[in-house]
Amino acid sequence: MGRMIVQVRDLTMRLTGGGRNVTILDGVTLDVPEHEVLAVTGPSGSGKSTLLGLIAGLDRPTSGSITVDGVDITRLDEDALARLRRDTIGFVFQSFHLIPTLTAAENVAVPLELAGHASAPARAAELLEAVGLAGRAGHYPTQLSGGEQQRVALARAVSLRPRLLLADEPTGNLDSTTGAQIIELLLALREEFGATLVLVTHDHALTRHAHRVVRLRDGRLEAPA
Amino acid sequence: MSAFVLRMAWRETRGAWRHVALFVACIALGVAALVGVGTFATNLERTLGREARALMGGDVELRSARPLGAAAHQELERLRAEGALTTEIRELVGMARSPRDGATALVELKAVGPRYPLYGRAETTPSRPLSELLADGGALVEAPVLTRFGLAVGDRIAVGAALFTIRGVITREPDRAGGLLTLGPRVLIGDDALDATGLVQFGSRVRHRVLVRVPGDTPAERVRDDLARALDDPGIRIVAFDEAQSGLRRFFAQLTTYLGLVGLVSLLVGGIGVASAVRTFIRRKTQTIAILKCVGATSRTLFATYLVQALMLGLIGSVLGVALGIVLQPLAMRAFAGLAPFALEPTLDVRTLVRALAMGVLTTALVVLWPLLSLRTIPPSAILRQDVEAPRRKRPWLAVLPIAAGLAALAFWQAGSLKVGGIFVLASIGALLGLTGLGRGLVRLARAAPRSRSLAWRHGVANLRRPGGQVGGVVVALGVGVMLLVAVGLLENALDRQIDHEQRRDAPSFFFIDVQADQRDAFARVMAETTGVSPALTPVVRARLATVDGERVGRPMLERRRADGQDKLWYFTREYVLTSMSEPPSANEILRGRWWTPAEAAARPRVSVEEAAAKALGVDVGHSLGFDVQGVTVDAEIASIRKVDWQTFSTNFFVVFSPGALEGAPTTFVATARVPAAAEARVQDAVVSAFPNVTVVAVRDILQRAAGILAQISFAIRAIALFSIAAGLTVMAGTLVASRWQRLAESAVLRTLGASRTTVARIFAVEYACLGAAAGVGGTVLAAALAWIVQRFVLEVPVALAPHVLVLGVALATTIALAVGFLATYRLLGHAPMAVLREL
Repeated sequence: MGRMIVQVRDLTMRLTGGGRNVTILDGVTLDVPEHEVLAVTGPSGSGKSTLLGLIAGLDRPTSGSITVDGVDITRLDEDALARLRRDTIGFVFQSFHLIPTLTAAENVAVPLELAGHASAPARAAELLEAVGLAGRAGHYPTQLSGGEQQRVALARAVSLRPRLLLADEPTGNLDSTTGAQIIELLLALREEFGATLVLVTHDHALTRHAHRVVRLRDGRLEAPA
Repeated sequence: MSAFVLRMAWRETRGAWRHVALFVACIALGVAALVGVGTFATNLERTLGREARALMGGDVELRSARPLGAAAHQELERLRAEGALTTEIRELVGMARSPRDGATALVELKAVGPRYPLYGRAETTPSRPLSELLADGGALVEAPVLTRFGLAVGDRIAVGAALFTIRGVITREPDRAGGLLTLGPRVLIGDDALDATGLVQFGSRVRHRVLVRVPGDTPAERVRDDLARALDDPGIRIVAFDEAQSGLRRFFAQLTTYLGLVGLVSLLVGGIGVASAVRTFIRRKTQTIAILKCVGATSRTLFATYLVQALMLGLIGSVLGVALGIVLQPLAMRAFAGLAPFALEPTLDVRTLVRALAMGVLTTALVVLWPLLSLRTIPPSAILRQDVEAPRRKRPWLAVLPIAAGLAALAFWQAGSLKVGGIFVLASIGALLGLTGLGRGLVRLARAAPRSRSLAWRHGVANLRRPGGQVGGVVVALGVGVMLLVAVGLLENALDRQIDHEQRRDAPSFFFIDVQADQRDAFARVMAETTGVSPALTPVVRARLATVDGERVGRPMLERRRADGQDKLWYFTREYVLTSMSEPPSANEILRGRWWTPAEAAARPRVSVEEAAAKALGVDVGHSLGFDVQGVTVDAEIASIRKVDWQTFSTNFFVVFSPGALEGAPTTFVATARVPAAAEARVQDAVVSAFPNVTVVAVRDILQRAAGILAQISFAIRAIALFSIAAGLTVMAGTLVASRWQRLAESAVLRTLGASRTTVARIFAVEYACLGAAAGVGGTVLAAALAWIVQRFVLEVPVALAPHVLVLGVALATTIALAVGFLATYRLLGHAPMAVLREL
């Protein structure tokens, strides 16, 4: 087993809503070695997406620690987290989350531009070609189908060849055929530069591609089956 | 990072045309107002500077209320020997009469020497040399003289006891910029013809001027200083061209300062609109900002992005504002031209434009900081959970204080003075707090209001407490504009009443000046015959202040006082009109000391001095003043200090002597009379035809002239205040447009549930009317407060707040809010409910 790129220790997340505390994650401990494809499954509301969001530093845990690429991200401030996401992490969302006012090519170019990439437009065009959308570069998200939007999101997530790819139910909003194409594309892109992939899904077809599957229930990791 | 910031700023702008339009309009209106005022101010300043010699008519001027003495003539002779040119001018007011029908009018008579003017040119129709037109009893008149008498060029006109031939119309006289208020139209005659009029008699008010054109490159200041050294008489005012018109300059400096601040108000109102537009924009961009944070954008990068966008829009708005200001320049010049006593060329001044541009951009930068800083608190997790509330800001004053300080600095910059700027800033804070409180109160009221049975009323009121609604912003933005307009209206109304002759039963119709001692009985008889009442005749003696507490009033004393920073030095050099009384004048209040008893009056001369004069002279009860009455000095002890209500228009005096003190001094008489309006012309004509030397000042005429000037000033202020109303309406339209999706959804749901379009329209109407009424009430209350302060402390007139202006303020604000509200939202009513619901 290689080096651990993600180390989650005793992670707890509670949210206050409607005047009561809801425990979403309850003492989760998890290691993800480099180059692994890990699937996180579990029923809705089990805390899968929250776990992924915490690993990406989108939110702060109530307690516990998360180390990404050797850095304890719970100690980083917002700007340092943003830089870490830019340089190390690529994120694919269930509902795509493209920026509506930007064209497909511009959406893909955003991380490149943020990193000060000299030839961002050219690289964005290559990436769109790689996901089969060369002809749609100038379209806005609303002019694209769901599958096309997710391809753009994929191209955006891998644009800086991140060491860690996080995908939150990437096929959840797509029909099965389109979903299968997206998964194929995701795995192919990952393979290309050997990124670690943490995949949240309750699609059993997807878990087949994982090296390892963990299951969350009521905010706790179940013992591996 | 910079490439990303610029690119992203552009991408976030290109599709947001509504945001762009609102933003740009808000800034452009204020900047245009500043350009309008600024150009007027610089044109005035430039004309006063460039034409300074022409505006005075020479390099150096000597001016005195008495003929210049031998010493002055000796000095002038010396200057002429050195190559200087001089010309003499005498100015006075007197009566002109049409020989055809005996009609009379008060005119400002000016008799000029052969070389007049030494600089600039008198423009006449026909255009001929003055010496030719004025030769052999020729006169030039301003056009109103011809219309008043129904005369034409070539006709004859009587001035005093002499007849003149009107040889032409004078259209421009370079050195007539003396003041705003003139007593009558000009009649220009030759110097040699003045004596024949009989107007220059004992005691008449003649202003003697000598203009000097110095040879070659002799500095005017040196000639002035030499003359001042040689001529000790402080009654001779000696000025070089660059210090001429100082009163006029001060007046215009103040006027343009106030106009500039009114312009700044428009910009600040626009700033409120920009701040609320940016707030809405950032709220709509929450998802985009969260996504960008997810893919690695730091808060600093995002802040820079949206700040660059805002600054670019601010710059565009400012540039458009400058363009608008330039386009409107001819109109603005027309609005202001009546105020300037000389021609203004609408030339553009680069510094003014750059300054207005900077004002626009800086205001933008300051007002967008607050809403933009909130994007730091948008968490990237907003992407996962839509309901995430941005955490409350910690220590908000850390951001608020510098922003407020920056805006205050802009106000100080525009005001150009700490005092005026400070008052403006305090007043703005007061208005802002008052209107914000009112907005909050309205929202609270909407929450607490009992459920009405009317559907429209219930929903309309509910709309006021819509989450994210901007009732406060709208009430402030609209209220400020209402405040300005209503305040101008109230002040104008109050001043109009003040100078409306019909309203003032106690004011005389006429002042008769220079009634000679030997005309006294005949004058009383003529007045009694024509009016049926005998006039009140008051003996007066002209005198000059000779000593203060035993010290001679001369240039050394004045120089010392000037060096001490004392102003109003003209109290030392003016001609005093003295009288003596045994009883204190009615409507005068004794502030200190007491009125003399007959025994005290008989013992030695005493005087009672008006409050402001005493203050300027630095004297009080027990001090002594000496007056030079035709060469004889009369010393008197100050027995009392009086407060005079100058508003009463009765005959009032700065200095009143005890009876007997002025006995034997050469006396003329002034008289007042009140006659019915219809009889005024007849009385004036009868008096002038019997006594051509008596000057008849018709109070109604003077008040009308003053009213004309006031009307011009309030027109100018109102023109600029309109910009802030426009900005306020833009702000309101902007917030309505910002809430249009919510409105669209509500109206679709209501209509699906069976509400008619009329019902939905009525719901909107209730909401807009409430907003407009709140702004109207708030603005009007503030206007009343402002008008009260100005009347009480600045103008010192009895406070009057016209009720109809107050009502009009509220009604107009409500109506305009309704109109603009419908213009901004009527299209929503046209959408088919299904189409809207599908989109949601």
